[in-house]
Amino acid sequence: MSRTSFILCELRVALPATLQAVEEFSVEFQRRSRALLDKANCFAAELLVREALTNAVLHGSHGDPGKQVRCSLRLKGRCLLIAVEDQGAGFDWRAAWNRKAEFPDDSGRGIEILRKYADRVRFNQRGNVVAMIKRI
Amino acid sequence: MLVVTREDNKTVVRPSVENIVAAILPEMRTKLRALVEEGVRDLEFDLAGVNMVDSSGIGLIVSAYNSLRKVGGRMTVTHVSPELLELFQSMRMHQHFNITGN
Repeated sequence: MSRTSFILCELRVALPATLQAVEEFSVEFQRRSRALLDKANCFAAELLVREALTNAVLHGSHGDPGKQVRCSLRLKGRCLLIAVEDQGAGFDWRAAWNRKAEFPDDSGRGIEILRKYADRVRFNQRGNVVAMIKRI
Repeated sequence: MLVVTREDNKTVVRPSVENIVAAILPEMRTKLRALVEEGVRDLEFDLAGVNMVDSSGIGLIVSAYNSLRKVGGRMTVTHVSPELLELFQSMRMHQHFNITGN
């Protein structure tokens, strides 16, 4: 017998590569997710979305507002799928994957947050697309 | 963006925003630096109204701690939500300064 997971919510957006656009989208995501997820999952999902989008703006697009960042979100069954793509050259995610910022470093915690809060994280070969699964 | 009050010998800063994230960082960073330059040495970061802190926001808090430490000061982070407490602990922040929940 097959088991079907229904798509409960799906959203695709293209944002200008600015932190202001990330903030506006994240606040809207927060508002929508509160209706669907419990508090802990809401926090985790929003944090993952924010980190991926902020990386795409600051590192992938170097803050160039002429560039776009695409984000797709899909809540299917008990899984939230998050994908973020930027128009940059990508980065060496293999080198960054195990990075762990220690004091007094005041940066470099983004990847560690993805590792902690997502159940699965995948980058494309080039490193300009990240796809994550968060079980809720 | 930051409400600053003096309580005894301590300076308490309370963000007037719910999210300490990349988009609002420059203004907040400037304000915190100015406090240390003015001579603040005992700082409480009261996060009672804060729902979200991203990696940039964590960087801001660590940077404030670093500035205070250089001049022999101290910092505490208070009224942290359970979700933020878990995040801060997983980033090992509690090993360097006192963090208390709400």
